[in-house]
Amino acid sequence: MAEFEKEVAVLVQRVVRDISNAFKKNPNIDEIGIIPCPEPRYNRSPIVLIETKLGLESWCVKFLLPSLHRKLLLYRQRKNYLDREALVDVTVTLLLLNPDFTTAWNIRKELLQCGVLNPEKDLYLGKLALTRFPKSPETWIHRRWVLLQILQQCYAQKGCRKEQGEGYLCHTEATGSSQNLCTHQAKLLHQEMTVCSEAAGRYPSNYNAWSHRIWVLQHIAKDNVEVFLEEFSSMRLWVSMHVSDHSGFHYRQFLLQALLTALCKAPQSTAATTLHQQGITTTSQSDTRAAFGLNESSKEWQPGIVTIPQLFDLEMEFCSELIHSFPGHETLWCHRRQVVFLWYQWRRDHPNVPCNTNEGNVLHLSISKDNGQACSSVEKSINGLPCGGDAMEVDGPPDPRDAKQLKRGLLMSCSMALHAEHSFVSSLLDNCCNLEQRRFALAYKKWLGTINHQ
Amino acid sequence: MGTQMKDVVIKPDAPNALILDKHADYIAAYGSKRDDYEYTLSEYLRMSGIYWGLTVMDLMSQLPRMNCEEITEFIKSCQHECGGISASIGHDPHLLYTLSAVQILTLYDNVQAVDVDKVVEYIKALQQEDGSFAGDKWGEIDTRFSFCAVATLALLGKLDAIDVNKAIEFVLSCMNFDGGFGCRPGSESHAGQIYCCTGFLSLTGQLHRVNADLLGWWLCERQLPSGGLNGRPEKLPDVCYSWWVLASLKIIGRIHWIDKAKLRAFILACQDEETGGFADRPGDMVDPFHTLFGVAGLSLLGEEQVKPVNPVLCMPEDVLRRIGLEPDLLN
Ligand SMILES: [Zn+2]
Repeated sequence: MAEFEKEVAVLVQRVVRDISNAFKKNPNIDEIGIIPCPEPRYNRSPIVLIETKLGLESWCVKFLLPSLHRKLLLYRQRKNYLDREALVDVTVTLLLLNPDFTTAWNIRKELLQCGVLNPEKDLYLGKLALTRFPKSPETWIHRRWVLLQILQQCYAQKGCRKEQGEGYLCHTEATGSSQNLCTHQAKLLHQEMTVCSEAAGRYPSNYNAWSHRIWVLQHIAKDNVEVFLEEFSSMRLWVSMHVSDHSGFHYRQFLLQALLTALCKAPQSTAATTLHQQGITTTSQSDTRAAFGLNESSKEWQPGIVTIPQLFDLEMEFCSELIHSFPGHETLWCHRRQVVFLWYQWRRDHPNVPCNTNEGNVLHLSISKDNGQACSSVEKSINGLPCGGDAMEVDGPPDPRDAKQLKRGLLMSCSMALHAEHSFVSSLLDNCCNLEQRRFALAYKKWLGTINHQ
Repeated sequence: MGTQMKDVVIKPDAPNALILDKHADYIAAYGSKRDDYEYTLSEYLRMSGIYWGLTVMDLMSQLPRMNCEEITEFIKSCQHECGGISASIGHDPHLLYTLSAVQILTLYDNVQAVDVDKVVEYIKALQQEDGSFAGDKWGEIDTRFSFCAVATLALLGKLDAIDVNKAIEFVLSCMNFDGGFGCRPGSESHAGQIYCCTGFLSLTGQLHRVNADLLGWWLCERQLPSGGLNGRPEKLPDVCYSWWVLASLKIIGRIHWIDKAKLRAFILACQDEETGGFADRPGDMVDPFHTLFGVAGLSLLGEEQVKPVNPVLCMPEDVLRRIGLEPDLLN
């Protein structure tokens, strides 16, 4: 028995060293996995590195995990000494095998605090763990902690200052704009979006990934309308290819609400300009600043602006399109409820906003461009799906008259809009024999009846 | 092809009667046949695991079969200097396991086994300026932790140790247009989070601030044709989500809005007739977590072979009566 334990100890040491060396040899490892292999083969290391993929043969996991786990807990109880390097290596291996082992992440937090570890390295470790465990709550939690450390560092450095609220915005020297993220933050933001997208792709309706994405926007891109717009526009394609992903759609709703808040705050002519430019080229920083950074004094709605109604209008059209193309998806009907609810609420709070003036075209142009792009991608994704044909034939394409009616409805009063929604459902039910679609349509119709009381 | 409905089909030969003896044997044996690897994998939540096992045993009136002394000693050795309690020995303290530990000690009518004042201090120190609670000293914020904090304090009779009003404001700021709640402001509604938030509002006497009809509607829409409930739209039904949705409906007084008979049939179908225990869905592997929520769900549905369960704390009603705790429920 003692002989066996010795053998295990040697094996474990070897595997930890091999993993650590693999990362040194190839810092671009982008995925980890377990290779099914019930028995050891020859005297080979159970670590396999193929290009950028790191694999661990399954037979060794049942020795490796308990042994390292015990080692770390003994250290935690001060019954066993591990030097810093050993701690780093042991926690890497443990967390790649069992990323919800909170205490192992905490030990890395301590190592980070005393400067032994680099925060970027820990973001990388988390990213790898998520390739195997895309939901792992503790991995996301650790990630947010590391991000806060980086943001605080960034804030402490020269050139960064803390804006009102908890968002950390950097002062870009070139433009002097408070609205712009410094290069470091922009990079961080991009990296987090990528990590979230990957995890969202690996596990549908990944609550932890999408709520992390919202947290990132709230903490890194606080009030940055450019970022929100960019997200809103890129999400369009993503959601149309993931029509069952309620979390992805919720994220889109979150963005819509954030844009709504920003647009309500901003003077309309500049807001429209910004939106316009966003659709065509990158936004001039001074415009953005003027539009969204400072001018909060103008609480009065400027007449002659249509931005918000058209934002809704386009979203409703998009939603109708998806409902017709992908019948029977509860997520799409939930999205419709949220959009209608937001619109209803906004309309009730701004009953006097005229909705049919020319200035509105500015926004319409820019968003239609995005719309056009997204439409073609929607078509592509429909064609790419095996279910497209049948479903389309049964339900038929959206009736253009409905769309028009809808648009007019939205631009009119609340009651007219609700009426338009009722006729959307009625005409859909008239030629729909998909049972699920009927069920969701009827529930939606019932829900419309309650909107006044909410 | 049409839409692939995200649901399960209950086979005609699926279990349809409650096999309580088997479940009790399954839980009683669970701790003893410990596989090193499996044990290690889940040690980070050991304290909650013990709470699941003991609570379901108590609901089945089988608590004496568990080793009270050993468990109490274990909990004592998991309390840290700061007052917080960890999932297991050598792990770091956290609100999640502090609640589980206090729940276990309440089942045993022995909260004095740990330093209660220190537990209270620990929780108090985790409240943030905006009223929210961090799960531990590292600062992660989640409405789950708001629930853990008030549930633990309510069990200890020390709710007044924290700023309850601010805590309430934070939880309410996580309410969504669909009447549900997410983990933080702006986050998606989720049945687990809704359970925590309605439970929180019950313990703090604020259930009138829930839009019960709207939320009840959303919760009822979680019921699928199989009878099982899911936690969010277009997810599969699951015994644990069935509990969270059902308990939330009970808390807001809308439990009669779902088809109870169909839900009962779904839960019963998740039993394993050979090994005992419940799985998340019919035919899957059983575990203590789903076994507790299966039995607790049946209790809320009126199963008479099981003790009545409290929907807010997921503990037997008689235990809460003993300590004089009666969380609010809407009618
Ligand atoms: Zn479950």
